[in-house]
Amino acid sequence: MPQFILILNVKASAFIKNVTDFRPQSVLKNLSSVLIFGGVALGVFLLSRAATGYLLQQAHIGLFLFHRFLSMLLYVFFITVNLGNMIVCYATLYKSEEVTFLMGLPVPHHTIFAVKFIDNFFYSSSTLLLLGLALLLGYGSYFGMSAWFYFFTFAAVLLPFMLTAGVFAVIMLMLLIGVASRVGIRWLLSGIMIVYLSAIYLYFSAVNPVVLVQEVMKHYPDVNAYFGYLDPPFVRYLPNHWVSEFLYWTVNGEPARASWHLLTLFCILATLMLTAWIVARMYYYKSWVNASEARSPVAGRPRFLQVRFMEFGREGILARPSDVVLRRDFWGFFREPSQWLHLLLMFVLLLVFLVSISSLDLRLTQPFLQTISYLVVFLFDGFLIASISLRFVFPALSLEGDAFWCIRSAPVSLRRLYLQKFIGSFLLIVTTAEILSVASTSMLRDSPVLVLVGALCTAFVALGLTSLNLGAGAYFATFREKNPIRIASSQGASLTFLAGMVYLGAVVALLVVPLNRYFEILIIRGTTSAGWLAIPLVAVGILTSIVFAGSTGVGLATLRRDF
Amino acid sequence: MSPTVQIRNVTKKFGSFVAVDNLDLSIGKGEFFGFLGPNGAGKTTTIKMITGLYAPTSGSCLINGYDVHTDPVPAKRSLGYVPDQPFLYEKLTGREFLFFVCGLFNMPIAVVKEKIDEYIDIFEIGDFIDKRGEEYSQGMRQRIVLSAALIHDPGVLIIDEPLVGLDPRSSRLVKDVLKRRTTEGLTIFMSTHLLEIVEELCDRIAIIKEGRIIYEETQSAARRSNGQLETMFLELTK
Repeated sequence: MPQFILILNVKASAFIKNVTDFRPQSVLKNLSSVLIFGGVALGVFLLSRAATGYLLQQAHIGLFLFHRFLSMLLYVFFITVNLGNMIVCYATLYKSEEVTFLMGLPVPHHTIFAVKFIDNFFYSSSTLLLLGLALLLGYGSYFGMSAWFYFFTFAAVLLPFMLTAGVFAVIMLMLLIGVASRVGIRWLLSGIMIVYLSAIYLYFSAVNPVVLVQEVMKHYPDVNAYFGYLDPPFVRYLPNHWVSEFLYWTVNGEPARASWHLLTLFCILATLMLTAWIVARMYYYKSWVNASEARSPVAGRPRFLQVRFMEFGREGILARPSDVVLRRDFWGFFREPSQWLHLLLMFVLLLVFLVSISSLDLRLTQPFLQTISYLVVFLFDGFLIASISLRFVFPALSLEGDAFWCIRSAPVSLRRLYLQKFIGSFLLIVTTAEILSVASTSMLRDSPVLVLVGALCTAFVALGLTSLNLGAGAYFATFREKNPIRIASSQGASLTFLAGMVYLGAVVALLVVPLNRYFEILIIRGTTSAGWLAIPLVAVGILTSIVFAGSTGVGLATLRRDF
Repeated sequence: MSPTVQIRNVTKKFGSFVAVDNLDLSIGKGEFFGFLGPNGAGKTTTIKMITGLYAPTSGSCLINGYDVHTDPVPAKRSLGYVPDQPFLYEKLTGREFLFFVCGLFNMPIAVVKEKIDEYIDIFEIGDFIDKRGEEYSQGMRQRIVLSAALIHDPGVLIIDEPLVGLDPRSSRLVKDVLKRRTTEGLTIFMSTHLLEIVEELCDRIAIIKEGRIIYEETQSAARRSNGQLETMFLELTK
């Protein structure tokens, strides 16, 4: 135990030194973090309160249905935390140099495991914890809950809920490492991807929100009654259900029934933590050795990808320096499984999204609702593009890595290198974004004008998000970190993502009124007036130009920093 | 001898800490210059400023008359660099890495192919050339990085601790290559802790301590034998 406390103490001291660094640059960075995180938390709080109010007072869906929607949201949240922890855990528990260092010292393996798990959990879940707290505050403030509710629910419900997801992830990971040594990491990652997608699909198929709404609404206006008999039996064994039930019974003023679900959550968390501890004592060191051996030089690897025209030593169409940088990036991407597998996963998610909305008919009769439905689809497209940009564009400069000396000491213009990275990233992002935009707006049977507006706005958004992620990625570059997933989940990346959300929010805000006016004219008068849409397009263009110029300026300036 | 590398009143500060203080050095064409100093004296900081990895707080570094910071591309055209840690792109093979470096120096592909074969022989890299960077030992990385620094026939070679991680046979190999290349006109600026290497190879030396030059030879000296350099170094840096 003293070793455990000593190591945690050292890590805590390093963290405190970092946040209490009063050099102007650090103060500015920390201040901007607080402003952006605070702004987004405030936005989530307001949205959460407004959405709760709207669903309960305007849409009259009732407390039961509202908490079942909350349960579905918590399920997705659980899966996100679980998957995020599993991915980051692999880097922190099995690939970290700190672990290699500690393994050489007389420190018990399970102590190393415990330290790194805590480190990992707070590293990968801090942003989600903040968003969870903001959601909770919005929810609680609608119901006028007391201060103790927020404190108690955060500490005793939200935190254990996320911890359950994290502990479950690490147990699975330790066991899967053994499987990976037999079947190979690529097959294992593909398997995990299929399992998670199946878990989401099966859950929503079983819960069936449409049938649930229809069944509950048969009892209108008594929609606040408890319709627990509508839940599929397996749902009662899921942590998201326990949390939503706790909240349901708490706002209904029945703490005894609420505490029963809380007790279940605690028992499961305690059992999982004990299991993790036992598995770690028995298996962590063995799995660490397995993972290390799998990465060792003598393990060899199949040369599965043959792309002759991208081989070095072949003439390309670009100038030689640009050509070799392109080839290096190509091979660096396709020889790193976490890169191409993630890209594949994201494309699968895009496909799932497109298939899901293809069955919707969102041609509504009220102009405002039509505006909202159009913007929700646009915002979701933007959110997906922001995620892809964060995952693949933000780490682009950090992935130059320690070998960046090679370019920095070569007769190569850094401006040209930056431009090349920007063009490559922009082409990937804008192509994906345009396919998504045109496909989604066409599937919703929007008019050609709206498809065109969506496509133009999407091109601006792709430009804005690419430049933002590349510029911020250069500013927050961590050349020592080799794992792109860790780079894309760092504090700088979280800030960039939140800044991207603010930018997307601003784009949507610019579109709301003119779009609403367009739909009013279309639905009420039956005529179209595309002129209303030219003004916001110009405004979005100006906003994007500002984001582009600012981000590129910062990116170029920081690229010349001392290496 | 006209100076190929000029360091003009260079100072580098990190916050209030002065790592290099008003450094002034000139190294002529074909000269093998040894840059010595205890740990933390400012050797690597100086080298990083010469190669453009650090920007000097004041002063300038010139390679063949071009300022590395205001006119980097022409300055770096004639520069080869061996860093203190031989970091490679882990996912590229040694051959691909050499193709990459030659591409940055705009060398024609046909010439590159021949040159790679030449350096495989010179540094006895053998079949390791087609293994990935992540599979290399420290010594093999060092050979690849040395090859990358020399393959484009630079006029100036900046080396930070060239023999780290090399076995005795490889060390001999590197020393012979460097010695031969200076006779062919290559200017070498080498930082090292190994005094016997300096005694054996260098035409001229300077010693840096706490960011300042505390000893500089103005012309080639025949004083470095029988451990005299070690005695002098220990005396000056105590």
